[in-house]
Amino acid sequence: MAFNSNNIYKKIISFRWITIILVIISTCFFGFQLSNLTIDADIIKSLPDDDKNAKLLKHISKNFGGNNMGVIILETDNIYQTKVLEHVRILTDSLSKIDGIASVSSLTNIINIKGSDYGIEVGRLVDEFELPTSPEEFQTLRNNILSNNMYKGTIVSEDETSTLIIFNLEDEANVNAVAKNVLDKTKQLNLPETLYYTGSPMLVTYISELMKSDLTRLLPLAFLVIAFILFFSFKTISGVILPLLTAVISIVWSLGLMAFLGFSMSMISNNIPIILLAIGSAYAIHVINRINQLHAQNRSDTVQTALAYVLVPVILAATTTMIGFVSFIFGAYLEMIVDFGIFTALGTLFACLLSIFFVPAIMSFKKTKKVTTEIKNPNNSSITTYLLEPLNKLLFKYPKRILVIWILLIATSIFGLFSIKRSVDIQEYFKKNNPTRLAEKIMVDKFGGTKPVFVLFKGNMQSPEVLKTMQKTAEYMEQSPDIYTSMSIAVLISELNFAITGNRDIPEDPVQIEQLWFLLDGNEALERFVSDDLVEGIIISKFKSPDNQSKKVFAEYMNAFIKENSTENCQIEITGMPFVDITMDQSLINSQMGSISIAIIFVIFIVGLILRSLKSGFYASIPIIAAILILFGVMGLSGISLNIATVLVASVALGIGIDYSIHIISHFNHVFKNTQNFKTAIKESIIISGNAIIINVIAVSAGFLMLVFSDMVPLQYFGLLIAISMISSGLGAITLLPAILILVNKKHIK
Amino acid sequence: MNFKLLSTLTFILLVFPVSIKAQNAETLLQNMDNLMSAPKDKIAIVEMTVTNKYEDEKVREAILKQKGTDRKMYRYTKPEKKAGIATLSLPGDIMWLYMPSFGKPIKISLLSKNQSFTGTDFSYEDMSGTPYSERYTPKLLKSDKPDTYMLELTPKTNKTTYSKIVISIDKKHNYPVKMAFFDKDKAYEKLATYKYVKKGNYWYAQEVLMEDLQKNHSTKIVMKNVKFDQGLKDEEFEVEKLMTN
Repeated sequence: MAFNSNNIYKKIISFRWITIILVIISTCFFGFQLSNLTIDADIIKSLPDDDKNAKLLKHISKNFGGNNMGVIILETDNIYQTKVLEHVRILTDSLSKIDGIASVSSLTNIINIKGSDYGIEVGRLVDEFELPTSPEEFQTLRNNILSNNMYKGTIVSEDETSTLIIFNLEDEANVNAVAKNVLDKTKQLNLPETLYYTGSPMLVTYISELMKSDLTRLLPLAFLVIAFILFFSFKTISGVILPLLTAVISIVWSLGLMAFLGFSMSMISNNIPIILLAIGSAYAIHVINRINQLHAQNRSDTVQTALAYVLVPVILAATTTMIGFVSFIFGAYLEMIVDFGIFTALGTLFACLLSIFFVPAIMSFKKTKKVTTEIKNPNNSSITTYLLEPLNKLLFKYPKRILVIWILLIATSIFGLFSIKRSVDIQEYFKKNNPTRLAEKIMVDKFGGTKPVFVLFKGNMQSPEVLKTMQKTAEYMEQSPDIYTSMSIAVLISELNFAITGNRDIPEDPVQIEQLWFLLDGNEALERFVSDDLVEGIIISKFKSPDNQSKKVFAEYMNAFIKENSTENCQIEITGMPFVDITMDQSLINSQMGSISIAIIFVIFIVGLILRSLKSGFYASIPIIAAILILFGVMGLSGISLNIATVLVASVALGIGIDYSIHIISHFNHVFKNTQNFKTAIKESIIISGNAIIINVIAVSAGFLMLVFSDMVPLQYFGLLIAISMISSGLGAITLLPAILILVNKKHIK
Repeated sequence: MNFKLLSTLTFILLVFPVSIKAQNAETLLQNMDNLMSAPKDKIAIVEMTVTNKYEDEKVREAILKQKGTDRKMYRYTKPEKKAGIATLSLPGDIMWLYMPSFGKPIKISLLSKNQSFTGTDFSYEDMSGTPYSERYTPKLLKSDKPDTYMLELTPKTNKTTYSKIVISIDKKHNYPVKMAFFDKDKAYEKLATYKYVKKGNYWYAQEVLMEDLQKNHSTKIVMKNVKFDQGLKDEEFEVEKLMTN
């Protein structure tokens, strides 16, 4: 073996005090850093700067505050009632008093410009001091709303049951604090109408809350389940404590490092603790399993001998798992996926280092007598008696049949693979009856959607040419079935012109435009549509359909228009969530293909290199490739979509699942080299490594299955799919791999 | 001394200081109103500097003609793009706007008086010519400075943006030194700081700084070349006059 040097193992034991002290110091340091760890669920921040659409979206969010808009939907039987308007007014007042909210816009304070017999009326749609009371006054209000394009889809729904209170956050506002304040203050009002909350600040805060609740609920649950399984497997306290301690320390180190380096927890990295709990314990399980098997009187020798057996497979297993995570760095679109890959890989490295230095250091202190009575011989375990021994016989008797069963499974999975759907819709993060999802539904059904679309114009915002192009773009855009309405400075100018002259066009005379601007000066709405220096302006709109094909059609439709109408004096660009979604959707496939191929190639190469046989590397990869095909088959056949969370499953499963095959292969090679007996080598691999594999599969799957109780849907699927992959790759390692080895080495079997 | 007389005297002694106080508060506010509306008319150049939270400044200049407290005409001279635009405020909250490029005056009906006055931090309500004593009930507070009185004004009607205004009035000359405006939640919203100077017989606010404390925004108004009692006639404030320079 490459590392077969007793010196290393001796040193690990002789430096045990240094190891333990170093671990304690590091854990204290990183544990202290944990208090600085922040949660950031803002998907916009995670978009890459080198993507044209994402860059433009960030630019618009920064300069026009598009990403800082929160929405309260007030739903009742009919909006046109004095008491309802009074409640809207109270809500509007309460929101505008919250620190960090720059402006609030609602039915009771929205600007109204309309022509009248004697001139124009500039003011509020509703007089907040004298709310309408009579049916005639309500009819006038209704007519005002219906006749004005500015209010279409922004203030009152067509069925008159819902109205929006829209608020914009200040640039430097603490999004979570403001959103919490909004929730607290509006709930305190105890209004009889139903309130729904949506818009980026509310959504981001809501996801952060879900993440916190997931962590505090699921992590202890996973911890208990894994502890329970470990206890039943090892029947020793050290067998429970050491793997869990290893996992917990590696969690503390990786999250502490995250905080230390200034990274935030994202909705993806929120998974890190559970993943590390499940896989971090695995390496320690293998080390402890081996130590427990060796009945030597001198405990230091036992630990050294055990290390000689497991060091290579544990390092190899950790390396392949790390490759699985590191593969996300290549081809991932969202920065949060890259961060997740880096820190989970580091966590894996920590768990591996702890398993080969810290665990043996602790184990070497155990007293001989006590341990010998505690040792559980895997040869006598129920897993061995009832599962592994019959399996061993079955493998030698029917290797072909076992292979055929696997081939059938793989064929079915390949069939299912073609029906995999993709989804990049953030709303699918929530369960069906979740209030955020209900809010989204109301927004789509009654207010034309929530996905923002922005068209950016660069030029002189007071020039007739630019404003006319804006108007033309909006008209063209609104012909798309997915665009209900749009808003821009051009609409405000044309409405003013209409109020004064009766003509809804943009005035031809630039001086007229400048003078109309005088009426808008000081209006907060202006900041949302034009930059301070008047060289940039935007059309704000919303996209209705969550369907990706519709987004692609719309993108092509708009790009054709922009190509034809963008000039030097009026440059047009378009972006928004539908455009980001298209790239994100494409990146799901690229990322999936990229990370899996990188992972498979590296795994075969590294396993081959360390086992000094490319053939071994290739064999080791067969069960995991089968498991990944089964994973995709399950996704396709059950309708679980590929999204930003489930796209991680295949590479994570590959990284963890390959370990099972590595243990079988390295065990097989080791025994075969010593005994030259093929049958014994297969039998020992299945009985001894198989035992650890089964314990590991159960522990890891149970840990991941706790994610099924998550409040976020993709995480539920993430947990379920990883568990399925663990079971299939574990089964593959102890059935498919030996069956292939038996069939390939028929001549050796005597 | 009989019992009736004693009771009456006691009552008077108890109530008198309160009524003196109330009387004082009202008189003080009235005195301030009188000082502010003393000139029969005035003509001045008004420079408005609006500073936003990023400390970017926008400067405007207008010629102001005012007769009494409720007839005001602003004709903008700067910036160049807005030159010629004019506003005319008349009694009864009537407002006319003239934009030269449209060639006709437009009557503007303001549904809400808490709207910003042409992009400044003053609302139409702040610019109102109606005396404070007609709109608010004053109460004398203990002043934090020896040379000023402090009054708390509460609105007589609920049709106002403010829940109260706290005014510091110069003891010697009756002009306002500071006004703190509180919104409906009784939170400190805006602060106006005045710099009064005397020209001829009249005191006038040469500089007013209005700070919006919630929005971190401010507007400074500076009066230049102020001339009082120029004999402006009502005809100067007719709508047609908006169209002539």
